[in-house]
Amino acid sequence: MMTNREKYKQAFSVLQTSGKISLEVEKMAVINKKAKLKAAAAVITTCLILAGGSGIVYATDIGGIQRTIQLWIEGDQTNATFEYNSDGSYNISIPSEDGETKEYGGGGIAYEPDGTERPLTEDEVLEQLNDPEVAYKDNGTVWVYYYDQKIEITDKFEDDICYLKLSNGDETLYMTIKYQNGWCSSPHKYESPNSFN
Amino acid sequence: MRQSVQELFEKYQNNLYAAAFNICKNTEDAKDIVQETFIQYYSLRKEFDNEQNIRAWLIRVAINKAKNINRSFWRKNKKPLEDYMESLTFETPESEELFETVMALPEKFRIVIHLFYYEDYAIREIADILKISESNVKVRLSRGRSLLKIKLQEEWDDDE
Repeated sequence: MMTNREKYKQAFSVLQTSGKISLEVEKMAVINKKAKLKAAAAVITTCLILAGGSGIVYATDIGGIQRTIQLWIEGDQTNATFEYNSDGSYNISIPSEDGETKEYGGGGIAYEPDGTERPLTEDEVLEQLNDPEVAYKDNGTVWVYYYDQKIEITDKFEDDICYLKLSNGDETLYMTIKYQNGWCSSPHKYESPNSFN
Repeated sequence: MRQSVQELFEKYQNNLYAAAFNICKNTEDAKDIVQETFIQYYSLRKEFDNEQNIRAWLIRVAINKAKNINRSFWRKNKKPLEDYMESLTFETPESEELFETVMALPEKFRIVIHLFYYEDYAIREIADILKISESNVKVRLSRGRSLLKIKLQEEWDDDE
């Protein structure tokens, strides 16, 4: 005679992941961060929120137009296929070193000043994808990646705050980075560390 | 302490998948959640006291991610549970009925039942994972059991 616990375990043992989950966690961690907004809403008129998913392409019946984009991952340029759907969701396909294509999906919404939600436009999604990256390495160093630039900021923190000016030739960004606690950027000025997180 | 993602993945991937599926009822979302949970573990570089703490943290994160997906504005993986049920092979008809009955319970009862019977967690540990009070866990567990008993009758024993 089986106990309830044994019955339950037998019933739910059918749930197996089927081993199709990629463990390229380091690369995914970078790409995931790219797909999430870290800047404070204070510097823009609307608050944008992007959420990334990885590994799984969402089945969608909305349909979108595919295009090739250049995505910067830790200072290296990667060709990716970008598909934007009219509901603000997107899929990105990136060829991996093992010859397979990795798929990432996500979506974004914007909060208007009056609190209403709307899907992000394609330009807004793309803009967020090429935001700077802050990476904390296993060896204790801290790096900022912005397009093709790799800047070590390990020793630039004072009281756990680092201020960094970035330029990609077209635009200048002023970053305020809190050690292990997020960052914020603005094209106009350094934001106060108290204004975010 | 830290353990490698590979090591934890091999040990706990199915536990996280089952916990995530229990909430979001969708295989694609559940796989996504497993992957994202390990990415979060990797990214956070949090130190843990022991492996049990790591396991509880992973399960808590997976559960929270599943809840977030359920509330998500852009959720599109809406394949119904019935479609997925057809792809599962249960050992016995009773197992299938138990699975379906549990999955038909309200979410707040379902996940407590799952953590108790599948993960063997005690009331106190479930309270800690779900960040609710122990008395709340007891109430949910009791109501969940009662609903299972009503539906499954002699296939579900009266237990503690």
